[in-house]
Amino acid sequence: MAWGRSSKQAQRERQLDSELSFHLEQRIADNIAAGMSAEEARRQALIEFHGIERVKEECRGLHWENIVDSIFRDFVYALRTLRNDRRFTLLAILALALGIGSATVIFSAFYGVILNTFAFKNADEITAFYIVDQDRPANRRPNLTLPELVYYREHNHVFQDLSGEFGGFGGTPLVYSAGGSTYQFDGCFLSANSFELFGMQPLIGRLPTEDDVKPGAAPVFVIGAKLWREHFNSDSSVVGQSFTLNGVPRMLVGVMPPRFRWAWVDAWLPFSLDPNEIATNPDLKGKAAYVVGRLKPGVTVKEAAADLDVVAHQYARIEPRSYPKRFTVTAKRSSEEAVDGLGFSRLLYPLMAAVILLLLIGCANVANLLLARATVRAREIAVRAALGASRARLLCQFLVESLCLAAVGCAAGCLLAYIGIKVLRPLIPFNAFPQEAVIELNQYVFLFSLGMAVLSTLICGMSPAIHAMRLELRSQLTATGTSNLGATQGKLRSSLVIAEVALSVILLVSAGLMMRTFLRLQNMDLGVNPKNVLYAGLSFPRGVVQKPEEQQHTFELFFDKLKRLPGVNAVSATMSRPPLGGPATDLIIPGKVHGDDWRTLLELCSEGYPAVMQIRLLQGRFLSESDVTGVRHVAVVNEAFARRYFADQNPIGQTVKFGVFDRVPTLKDTYFEIIGVVSNTRNQRLNDPPAPQAYLAHTLLSMGYKAFVARTSVEPESLIPQVQQVAWDTDPHVAMINATSVDGFLQKFFYANSQFEFITLGSFATIGLLLVLIGIFSVMGYTVALQTHEIGIRMALGAERSRIVKMVLRKGMILIAPGLAIGVVGSLASERYLAHLFHEATPVNAGTYGGVVILTIVAGLVACLAPARRAAKVDPLEAIRCE
Amino acid sequence: MCPTGMDHTGSERSDFLKGTLDMLILKVVALGPIHGYAIATRVQQISNDVFQPQQGSLYPTLHKLEKDKLLSSEWKQTETGREAKFYALTAKGKKRLENEVQNWNRLSGAVALILNTAE
Repeated sequence: MAWGRSSKQAQRERQLDSELSFHLEQRIADNIAAGMSAEEARRQALIEFHGIERVKEECRGLHWENIVDSIFRDFVYALRTLRNDRRFTLLAILALALGIGSATVIFSAFYGVILNTFAFKNADEITAFYIVDQDRPANRRPNLTLPELVYYREHNHVFQDLSGEFGGFGGTPLVYSAGGSTYQFDGCFLSANSFELFGMQPLIGRLPTEDDVKPGAAPVFVIGAKLWREHFNSDSSVVGQSFTLNGVPRMLVGVMPPRFRWAWVDAWLPFSLDPNEIATNPDLKGKAAYVVGRLKPGVTVKEAAADLDVVAHQYARIEPRSYPKRFTVTAKRSSEEAVDGLGFSRLLYPLMAAVILLLLIGCANVANLLLARATVRAREIAVRAALGASRARLLCQFLVESLCLAAVGCAAGCLLAYIGIKVLRPLIPFNAFPQEAVIELNQYVFLFSLGMAVLSTLICGMSPAIHAMRLELRSQLTATGTSNLGATQGKLRSSLVIAEVALSVILLVSAGLMMRTFLRLQNMDLGVNPKNVLYAGLSFPRGVVQKPEEQQHTFELFFDKLKRLPGVNAVSATMSRPPLGGPATDLIIPGKVHGDDWRTLLELCSEGYPAVMQIRLLQGRFLSESDVTGVRHVAVVNEAFARRYFADQNPIGQTVKFGVFDRVPTLKDTYFEIIGVVSNTRNQRLNDPPAPQAYLAHTLLSMGYKAFVARTSVEPESLIPQVQQVAWDTDPHVAMINATSVDGFLQKFFYANSQFEFITLGSFATIGLLLVLIGIFSVMGYTVALQTHEIGIRMALGAERSRIVKMVLRKGMILIAPGLAIGVVGSLASERYLAHLFHEATPVNAGTYGGVVILTIVAGLVACLAPARRAAKVDPLEAIRCE
Repeated sequence: MCPTGMDHTGSERSDFLKGTLDMLILKVVALGPIHGYAIATRVQQISNDVFQPQQGSLYPTLHKLEKDKLLSSEWKQTETGREAKFYALTAKGKKRLENEVQNWNRLSGAVALILNTAE
């Protein structure tokens, strides 16, 4: 390469030439002087010189410009050879891209969820702790009463500060009215010092401070970025406005950043940790707070627990009733705690292991491909070595070649990861990861994938390089190209294929299980028709409408209007959404022996319920309009109820009593007459059989909240704005909440997990299978390349082409069989672990296994086809002559 | 390749100490500016043919010594009128040679002492 070479280098090259040829000339002259013939003198001198190119190479190697130059030449050479062998190059890049891509996707989830759960300043310092009953370790208390919290805050030596929160996770609905509309969102109370403790800056406005909660200060609150964006259209003028939340005016002072989701709510109301305030403020009386603290720098979690243990025992002497007899304090990083209970998070570790394995397999495949080529290129390498390429140069050449592959593979892998994350993110179940976690490609993830690329380069490049160097170079030039390769290497290659087949079988079986689970859940007959049903709740604000009669009246007015809304076919009150029944109660049937487990679920609804949910009437009649408006004490029961409690009797006309109503003064000791029996519905989630259930008039009870279902002739969620408006037209102080289609609810809470796990595992299993294809293809290709000579001889001796093809296919199957067996046995053995790991996995069945085995064998045959055809095309004369 | 870069002549292996070739070259060059071929023949002559530096190791070593600034080089005409690269010892090279010789003497003295006593 003349390009890129400085004149200094060119001069150095000329001088090297001239210095060495001077030596040669002198030697020849001396040889002649010693009496040799001119020809002999030259011959002797040249022999002595052992390859002038090698000497030159070694001298060149002393200068870095030359090293750079030679690496550059290696690159050009590598690119040229890779371009010349397109099929090889594409396969190798595909294998690496799949490996690096899947590792990158999982690492981004791993990083986002496990390593960077929270966006707090020095999030590692945020620590939670519990009081654990030593006699019953499952009995652990994470909450402290507010006076307890104040005491801990004052007496510990390990925390910079402690934060307390209560009313989170949906426990504090905040209702506010504005311009004829009423809205509700979730809030919680957070101690005023917490905002500084977490150390996150607000998007706009300011954080609440302890001044905001001093006696006489105007109440303030902050909201989350999601609510600000979705409800306030990111309007920054809302900051500074006053909102009447549950009847109390509060000023909105700031918007928190998107990754602040403490207690999974949209608004945070600061409260004071001042002992006087706690003792006197009615809002704070008797409250217990979830507590976390920021550790002082250098304090470990264990040290914190030890210190808190002392504080807790001190406090236990003040307030012995709230502590177990023997207890201890354990502490845990909040980030670990947040991930602990969440479904998918625990899957990340095995998945991370699986994708690293996939990547290693991808590398092994590329190494195999390179090896196959190295065999074919053995002569070229031997020639290069003879022409003066040192071992380091040859190694460098191989590494440069695999670096080129890994670099392209890494870029393609990142692209795959980008697409993968984009596709997978909307499918992630809302409860799979902490809400604060963000899964994205960021600089750390890129660094990881670069690291993976470097690792792949080394793994892929080293083995063929070492292999090539072990070849007896001279024998490559003189003898046949198919020198005897070490048997151990062949074994290593085969075991790689066995490992990848086994892993991919396990992945396929898991994916098959998840697919079956998913399909089973999705196709399960719920007993209702969840399509085109809208569910929503009406929330009556405290302090505005008080009397139950008034609420009932409002609700009836709303119902009348809702029935007339275009697109709405039928409506009913309800207490629950399928596949959940209403509240459970114990049951008393006159004249029958009352068993402990005599229980039933209750659904408080109106006459439209069968029409909305499409349940069938089996006997008698359903509730009528007059039953509902007249608040009559009649009940309709489901089939399970009738079978269980009136197996040999006609249930119609029987009377029953529901224990839960004994607590309601107006309904104490009320007996209900059974007027009808309806078909069963799934009312205990998806997996359990339907439980007894009774349908009563919703007018029996009045609460601050009423839910309803409506069968629609259009997409249910498209009606939400209109239904909302109907509610406000009825009463501007009513907020509509939890509006969702029943389908959407089922998807979000019951199908999403298995769907996500099925898609994730399915993708990895597909990648695993592709890698198996590439792996078998490369090993078989290699075997055929090695045996070209042998195949030629066989053919020359009369072997038919079909026999050659069969031979190759047989070898391929022999390669797959042990992996298949190990994979099947491994899946069977890990069945219990898998069932535990995956959401509601269905038990293993023969169909899944059979399918996986057949799929793997077919894949193996496909991978063997090309090498087999190549073997069959071997021209006996060519094969023998070329050696 | 043997570590010293010396080819053994069959009966006597002379590759027992690393860096010997460096030292021998420095010593020969110390006698005055000299080109590569002459270095090879001089080492061979002086050592009574025990050491026969091969070009394969001689030139890389020369270039390395030059790069380490122990030797300097200059293109000059030989007696025959041909251009050749002449190597000379630098101050740094001189110091290194003194060190090497001292080390060598100490080492070989010690070895001789042991061998003689052992008899």
